[in-house]
Amino acid sequence: LTRVWPCELSIKRTLKRKKANGPTSPRWGKPGTKPPPRSFLLPQSNPDSLLQLHIRDSGEQQIEATKAPLLVALAPSPHSDQVRALVTRPMAGSMDLPTKGGFDFGLCRRNQMLAEKQGLKIPGFLKTGTTIVGLVFKDGVVLGADTRATEGPIVADKNCEKIHFMAPNIYCCGAGTAADTEAVTDMVSSQLQLHRYATGRESRVVTALTLLKSHLFKYQGHVSAALVLGGVDCTGPHLHTVYPHGSTDTLPFATMGSGSLAAMSVFESKFKEGLTREEGIELVAEAISAGIFNDLGSGSNVDVCVITKGKTEYLRNHLLPNPRTYNSSKGYSFTKGQTEILSTKITQLKPNVEVAEGGDAMEE
Amino acid sequence: MGDSQYSFSLTTFSPSGKLVQIEHALTAVGSGQTSLGIKAANGVVIATEKKLPSILVDETSVQKIQALTPNIGVVYSGMGPDFRVLVRKSRKQAQQYYRLYKETIPVTQLVRETAAVMQEFTQSGGVRPFGVSLLIAGYDDNGPQLYQVDPSGSYFSWKASAMGKNVSNAKTFLEKRYTEDMELDDAIHTAILTLKEGYEGQISSNNIEIGIIRSDREFKVLSPAEIKDFLEEVE
Repeated sequence: LTRVWPCELSIKRTLKRKKANGPTSPRWGKPGTKPPPRSFLLPQSNPDSLLQLHIRDSGEQQIEATKAPLLVALAPSPHSDQVRALVTRPMAGSMDLPTKGGFDFGLCRRNQMLAEKQGLKIPGFLKTGTTIVGLVFKDGVVLGADTRATEGPIVADKNCEKIHFMAPNIYCCGAGTAADTEAVTDMVSSQLQLHRYATGRESRVVTALTLLKSHLFKYQGHVSAALVLGGVDCTGPHLHTVYPHGSTDTLPFATMGSGSLAAMSVFESKFKEGLTREEGIELVAEAISAGIFNDLGSGSNVDVCVITKGKTEYLRNHLLPNPRTYNSSKGYSFTKGQTEILSTKITQLKPNVEVAEGGDAMEE
Repeated sequence: MGDSQYSFSLTTFSPSGKLVQIEHALTAVGSGQTSLGIKAANGVVIATEKKLPSILVDETSVQKIQALTPNIGVVYSGMGPDFRVLVRKSRKQAQQYYRLYKETIPVTQLVRETAAVMQEFTQSGGVRPFGVSLLIAGYDDNGPQLYQVDPSGSYFSWKASAMGKNVSNAKTFLEKRYTEDMELDDAIHTAILTLKEGYEGQISSNNIEIGIIRSDREFKVLSPAEIKDFLEEVE
């Protein structure tokens, strides 16, 4: 499904007009004129559609798009730590200036040059390769997640926490790049807390949902966070999935991550409306176990979170289906004589050992 | 800020070495409604009188005592709108601190940052100092704490303090009644009595506001029903 952005059509018109007018002489350099706005051409897979961003040179970066009200960030080579730096930069200054959104393009040219000319391999990011699920039961919402974090073929964390706190009544499971899910959920959790103070009310799930999806959409899919958001508020229990590009679904049961197909098969066969709390937890645990045992990217333990009106229970390591059985519980003991002595050589240390009374030698 | 016509500060020194705008701000505070705070051995109490301009005003819509974090609360004397701006800024700073250090902000840090904001407005272009003095009460790992922040940006830690209209009488009253090992409930009674001293009219659960923080570190504003209980105990 290829979407044509409205700005693309206007850009094509601009290009046609520019071609018709021919090359113009440089207008800067004459007194009283400002240099024209720099425009960046970003490499896209489709060469027919160019997205141009004009950045005004005023020391501050105000990213404006030609006739496109919503356009912002695009990065040819995303660095998860750079994105994170933008996300968590503390706001300096006393005035509440409008936030400058979008990606900082300063290093894009350098990255491109490094990749092309010097063959620098852009570092990969830690993906979670996950199974995360959620379902709505009679009194609320149950969320579940596995606990394996992978870095390529290596298990980086055998017992990580993928169910993140958003509000006392809203929790969020995260799949995708671990740094992105952490940063985005922390940021929205912080915003929700400020909102609660300002309004004096409990946070709503749709508020968290809208904050998440607007943020992810702004970054055009480069913040690789796929989330299952669930909670109970004054309007009832809610369960949503959020995709990295910013689209959302509202569902009675949902799965995300590399193990989502295994988990979804369990849900599709066993889910029904109006489950009780025990049935809900059992079904979620079963779905996550399906992901753990059938998907390489998921593994270790099952975390479950049950949210009902007024009460949230975070059951960390609800199931431990992968215990370490190869370690001897008694420990290891090696009796004398088990190692064969092949030869013995005794070297005398110098008999004169001088003990220096060095009180001043060690300085603190 | 640099391009505006007011890129110079409106707060300038007088020949005697005073910042007259800050003096005027303190006068504005001094004509505001009385507020006070008392630090007890196991908690802090802050209170203020809530005199509304007319009986037609819905008193439930007015909240003079606000929470900044779950364990820090604040009350003011002076201009209400300035207070709202400071509360908003302080809450945001507390959140930013948490996001940066993954630690709930200690009371002293929040006081320092709020005071820094108030000082900025005495030295920036085109702005005036805040017309409020704040009493910030909190309970963290260093125990219960009470700080007063002035429009100039200076802050002090107090065992008990008062601000606003009746400040001298209230402070004298507090000096007489304060003891080091006061319990929080005694402190609440003392606070109510101090407010009663300077109150013009009949004190009731609807025209005072009390905020407390105990050793459970949860700041809460007392409901009118709870205030009524304490008032009856005092009578």
